[in-house]
Amino acid sequence: MKRFWRMYWVEQKMFFRSPDVILFNLTMPLVTLILIAIIAGNQNAADSGLTYLQSAYVALSTVGICCSAFMSIPITIVECRSRGILRRMYCSPCSPARLLSCDTICSGVMAALSTLLLTIAAVVFFGYRMRGNVLAYLAAWLLTMLSMFSIGLMVASLCRTTKSMNVATSLLYFPMLLFSGTTIPAEVFPAWFRGVARWMPLGVGIDLLKSVSMGCYNKILVPVMILIAITILCGTVAVKTFRWE
Amino acid sequence: MREPSIRVKNLTKAFHGRTVVDDLSFDVEKGQVFGLLGHNGAGKSTTIDLILGLKAPDGGSAKILGMDAAKNRKQVFKRVGVQLQHTQYQSNITVEEACIEYASLYAAPADYPQLLEGFGLGTLRKSFVSKLSGGERQKLSVVLALIGNPEIVFLDELTTGLDVVARREVWRTLKQLKNQGLTIFLTTHYMEEAEALCDRVCIIKSGKKITEGTIEETIAASGQKNLEDAYLFFMGEEELL
Repeated sequence: MKRFWRMYWVEQKMFFRSPDVILFNLTMPLVTLILIAIIAGNQNAADSGLTYLQSAYVALSTVGICCSAFMSIPITIVECRSRGILRRMYCSPCSPARLLSCDTICSGVMAALSTLLLTIAAVVFFGYRMRGNVLAYLAAWLLTMLSMFSIGLMVASLCRTTKSMNVATSLLYFPMLLFSGTTIPAEVFPAWFRGVARWMPLGVGIDLLKSVSMGCYNKILVPVMILIAITILCGTVAVKTFRWE
Repeated sequence: MREPSIRVKNLTKAFHGRTVVDDLSFDVEKGQVFGLLGHNGAGKSTTIDLILGLKAPDGGSAKILGMDAAKNRKQVFKRVGVQLQHTQYQSNITVEEACIEYASLYAAPADYPQLLEGFGLGTLRKSFVSKLSGGERQKLSVVLALIGNPEIVFLDELTTGLDVVARREVWRTLKQLKNQGLTIFLTTHYMEEAEALCDRVCIIKSGKKITEGTIEETIAASGQKNLEDAYLFFMGEEELL
């Protein structure tokens, strides 16, 4: 186990060195929150029953998940494969699986860190308080992360080349980031558009998180089931189609 | 009789109908430095891939320490180190971190600062691997092949891209390790390198064995004066002699 953490730490340090991760995963959600809070923090966001700050906090708490799942995970894995690192690791007593789990944990830690920074800013500087149960929110957040990570891992397994992976991640990352209310508040979009965005995987997660944050636990069953289904389905595809080279 | 360190028997592999490794057989004894020689594209790297279990053979078998690497991957690679051609590194890893990462794969790794010193990389510990010269990176990959204290090490084209000084450094260290009993399997197309390091060589052409023996035997069999001329002779390039 000690050896596993030694490897983990090497990988984690590389995450902190990556300007993309720092910019998109840690800085962007924080800056967006500050802007929204200053511009429209206490106004009601359309008919959602939340203020813009409350709505933005929930949505932005998934940006780290989104960046990790659709950028860090597939990029790291496909890169390790195309550079022959997985092949080289195969020729050692520990399998490449170790490297992959290290990288997935690193991505999870970055997502958690992103949300932690966001929470501190929202609570300390803008007086954000959650109506719902914080632990329930944490559980819903972890489930959302798990299901998004399974999608990212599936992409990493299915894409044979860096090029196809770049296309796939862009198709997942940008629409979800822009339209599921992560960066642009969903409430500013027309109703029909919101209807579509809600059915994107991340949209389902954000819906669930919004309900939990408001303390409405009566409509969480469907999103929870969907997220669990995504995790099982994509996780299975990821494992079954995985290749070392 | 003692089991050889590596035993290759009638190994055959074809890609898209083209035979790349053709009924290849040889043994490598413990403590020996064995060189697989041939042109680019002669099937040297494929042979290594087959022995290491990275590719499945169409026919024949390859055993390392009496085991099939594809079936006993963990057992084999506890005792075998490899340097593969074209392995790159993560874009922002340092030399020291690469050593820590690879050392973490083994239960009793070698002392990496000492290995780095031996290969003249001691001052580059904090440097990013991406900033190293081609030769320095090549030496690092040899260090990483040795980091698990292996009994056998596979080195694929180990000194390609190295300058004269770096090549001599690598040779010197490998000779020291050989004296400590390390078995080395290497591929090269530098005959000078084979002469300096190898106890035994096997020359292949289009995946087929042309000749095998000690350096002296190989030169004697060709009637030439050195290994490079012998190699050209066996390759059927007499007009170049």
